[in-house]
Amino acid sequence: MVSMEDVIAGLHRLERAVLPALLKHSSVYDIGSAAGLKEVEVLRGIRWLRDKKLADVKEAEVDFVELDELGRAYAREGLPEVRFLEALKAGKLGLDSLMQKAKLSRDEVNASIGLLKRNGWISINKGLVFEITVQGRDKLSKGFDEYHLLRGRFPLKVEDVAAASLDNLVSRRILRISKKKLVTAALTALGRKIASSSALKEDAVDRLTPEMIKSGSWSKLRSYNLEAPVPKVFLGKKQPYRRFLEEVRSRLVALGFREMSGPVVESEFWNMDALFMPQFHSARDIHDVYYVKEPKFADNLPKKIVENVRRAHERGIPGSRGWRYKFDYKKTARLVLRSQDTSISPRTLSSEDLQIPGKYFQIARCFRYDVIDATHNADFDQIGGFVVGEQLNLRHLFGLLRLFAREFCGTDEVKVVPSYFPFTEPSAALYAKHPALGWIELAGAGIFRPEMTVPLGVDKPVIAWGIGLGRVAMFKLGLKDIRQLYSHDLEYLRAAKV
Amino acid sequence: MPNISFSFRDFQQLLGKKLSIGEFKDLVALYAKGEVEGFENDEVKVALDDTNMPYLWCAEGMARFFRGVLGKEKGLAEIKVGRGNYEIVVDKSVKAIRPHIAAFVAEGREIDEYLLKQLIQLQDKMDEGYGRKRKHLSIGVYSHRNIAFPVRYTAVDPKGISFVPLEMAQKLTPAQILKMHPKGRQYGWILGSFSRYPLLIDSRREVLSLVPITNSDFTGKLRVGDKELLFEATGIDSEAVNLAANIFAQNLFERGFKITAVKIKDSKSFTTPVDFNEKMRISREDVESRIGIKLSASRLRQLLEKARYGVSGNIVTVPNYRADILHKFDIVEDVAIMYGFDRIEGIPLTSYTAGSPAGMSVFVDKIREIVCGLGFQEILSPVLSSRKVLEGNMGISGSGVVEIDNFMSETFSAVRNWLSPILMEVLSKNKHNDFPQKIFEQGTVNIRKGNVIEDKEHIALASSHTNSGFTEAKQYLDALFSSLNLRYSIQPHDSAVFIKGRGGRVKAGGVDIGIIGEVSPEVLLNWGLELPAVLLELDLTALNNIIS
Repeated sequence: MVSMEDVIAGLHRLERAVLPALLKHSSVYDIGSAAGLKEVEVLRGIRWLRDKKLADVKEAEVDFVELDELGRAYAREGLPEVRFLEALKAGKLGLDSLMQKAKLSRDEVNASIGLLKRNGWISINKGLVFEITVQGRDKLSKGFDEYHLLRGRFPLKVEDVAAASLDNLVSRRILRISKKKLVTAALTALGRKIASSSALKEDAVDRLTPEMIKSGSWSKLRSYNLEAPVPKVFLGKKQPYRRFLEEVRSRLVALGFREMSGPVVESEFWNMDALFMPQFHSARDIHDVYYVKEPKFADNLPKKIVENVRRAHERGIPGSRGWRYKFDYKKTARLVLRSQDTSISPRTLSSEDLQIPGKYFQIARCFRYDVIDATHNADFDQIGGFVVGEQLNLRHLFGLLRLFAREFCGTDEVKVVPSYFPFTEPSAALYAKHPALGWIELAGAGIFRPEMTVPLGVDKPVIAWGIGLGRVAMFKLGLKDIRQLYSHDLEYLRAAKV
Repeated sequence: MPNISFSFRDFQQLLGKKLSIGEFKDLVALYAKGEVEGFENDEVKVALDDTNMPYLWCAEGMARFFRGVLGKEKGLAEIKVGRGNYEIVVDKSVKAIRPHIAAFVAEGREIDEYLLKQLIQLQDKMDEGYGRKRKHLSIGVYSHRNIAFPVRYTAVDPKGISFVPLEMAQKLTPAQILKMHPKGRQYGWILGSFSRYPLLIDSRREVLSLVPITNSDFTGKLRVGDKELLFEATGIDSEAVNLAANIFAQNLFERGFKITAVKIKDSKSFTTPVDFNEKMRISREDVESRIGIKLSASRLRQLLEKARYGVSGNIVTVPNYRADILHKFDIVEDVAIMYGFDRIEGIPLTSYTAGSPAGMSVFVDKIREIVCGLGFQEILSPVLSSRKVLEGNMGISGSGVVEIDNFMSETFSAVRNWLSPILMEVLSKNKHNDFPQKIFEQGTVNIRKGNVIEDKEHIALASSHTNSGFTEAKQYLDALFSSLNLRYSIQPHDSAVFIKGRGGRVKAGGVDIGIIGEVSPEVLLNWGLELPAVLLELDLTALNNIIS
């Protein structure tokens, strides 16, 4: 059981102000007047008190009187009939001078004339010259009740305004009647006890200041409502899909793979020819690869390697008859957007830095000519690489695929079936049983054809592999649409789970 | 990836064995590098991975392959080709245009509706995929009842002859066919640059076809009930042309047709279908080194015959309907497949290798960490964008945008050459979300400089809220550079992107390293933005060069 002292110690400044006022008042308006608080402050205070079971709060719909459009203006500038009379105090005036002096529009003059004439406060002389009467002067000195009303606090209860006056002012669009939520509060028994308690009157302190720490006057720090909502702050954090790719990268590094990289704008040579894909291969069609408009050709191809590759395409290598066609030098230099991450492998294989044995990987943005929808992006990320070493064979490749299934799918349940890639022989596809997604095609792999590696200067077997983690990523990030991997929606990104 | 369909009943008849569709599915996945994608009303749909094995793109080829797999037959498939008096004379005018032709005659069975469909399916698949949209290879099939041999293969004046093409009612010249016939419009590009067009014409001067566009309506329309067929293939790729003839001859032979060779009278004469007589030496060591399994000589022979190779000692003969064997490893793969991928056990890699991320990855990750620490939300966007985003909306031009020749949609028609516009795009899409909005993106950009395209890593930061201003942007720059223990300077930068006097170039180590500034109200309005924004973009490739 919480003691009364604890309850009092936990009261907010607003609660402390509202409580005593509740002994005498019940409406928000009255409480506000008594406690010197704004309406919103009273509302916050009584709702917190309700949560602490110190007050009961009731809400009802009630008619209220509010200032209408003209009322707000007249509260500032004065009623037109009063301005009319004021302007005549110094003497008679014609219509134009009157309008100018009293700053009245023609409509306002017309509306005032009836009222002023009816009460005998003005007389109208020939040629529309206005003059104030004795009664008029008398009224002016006594003052207008309506004006005081306008200058007062709103909203008002309907019964607080004289009925005749209310009708008149409403018809003149000075006041209006509207429905409002009326909030009333009453103390509970405990609330009444606390409201009358002297302990409530002691000052409670919100914020600890350096002075208090020095002076030791911090004993009255009030307790906070720890459950109260606070304004939002936005933290800086990594993009969720990029974080996923980073995790994949660190796993591969942990497995002993070195990261490679290559350019986004690539020559057909590295993208296709160096992979022993013939220049007439169907995947090289204008409808599959994006071609760069300008410049059209790469000027930095390695001449010797291009020659080796050309010969392999045209005539093969020892043990292979090649593709037997005329290799086009112009086509090989043509610039395209990288269409497959494997384009990076021949760069590394032909590099002086190649280490044998070696394991390599890349995470590469690739591009394909595709209609964009929930399952296709023009941009996509491919993860792949190779393993080079003495005496590697298909059984090592199968072992590697099983390892990937365990690392990236958390499963030992796999199927490895024959597959086809233009640059590997033999080739295999890995299906793995994902715990949530069921059977998915997780990876493709093969042993690079000797017609591909030999021209690059590598005569050892090279296992090529690629893993497709698109579906796994979408599952992990809870996405249904592949385009959301590159989402521009800040609300989603800010709320994304870390 | 070739997709084909055929009658499952027909397949089982050709196979000589009853199968459930489930069994067939497993067989296709395990042996045929493919997937059964549908089965409805006896029609089975198969997607095949391999683009170099057109002999499998039909019920006959699939059945022949699986007769080997299931042990119904072994070794080379049987075919008998008879000799006859059919002759095609090749005129030298076609040499520079479309030099190769192969043909044969098939007789003795009636063509039914299903077989006609099968013939057309394989013809289409081979023309489109293997034949590179008819350029390398195109196939024609005729009823030869109306054809008077010898047929001439010659090139003619596009306006010098006329005939009624398929699906048309009136006579047209080849030139008119290219303009008016749907196939002429589709394939005319193959002939477009030549002054003469290749034509097959018989001894009574009846046109068989305008090659490779369309057959004539008179001789070239194959109908249900026809019993005598002439098959021809033409193209610029002699191997593809002969392969097509061999595949069709094998298929029709297995369907019960009698196949008769056609004599091709070229500069020298020969008959087609031709025997490729492709032989290779395969040893047990080849299999062991590539696949990692030890086989006895007899087991190796058994597996090779199961894959429908001919075997004599250690010499392997490749079937004439295959042209996908370039290297002995292609045959070794078939041995592994016939052995069964499901029976080959994986073994772990044993060599030790030290893993490492690329140097640039490590550096960009450091920078990303710092920027996250400054309270920025990371964005990841497509690399593809448009000139409108990269230049138009930013009020600039000539910034070195790399554009795509054959883009599909304007939105993705260029490679981004800087990241700031992408962040402006993000801000413009998030006006309804809470402020302040502090966002950044790190990624590759490509900048065209004359005839060279530079591939670089950039980072850009944008901050937008009621009080964002130059001071704030410079605070971030300060924090970043002091974390790297680097000095920088800012020089005034006159750019339409920034408010005059509030935009600068960032320099470090004597080189331009980036830009910083308050976005000009015009640019804000281009993006429909109502709150001020600041941008900071840095070239991380250059920055990394300075540091290392």
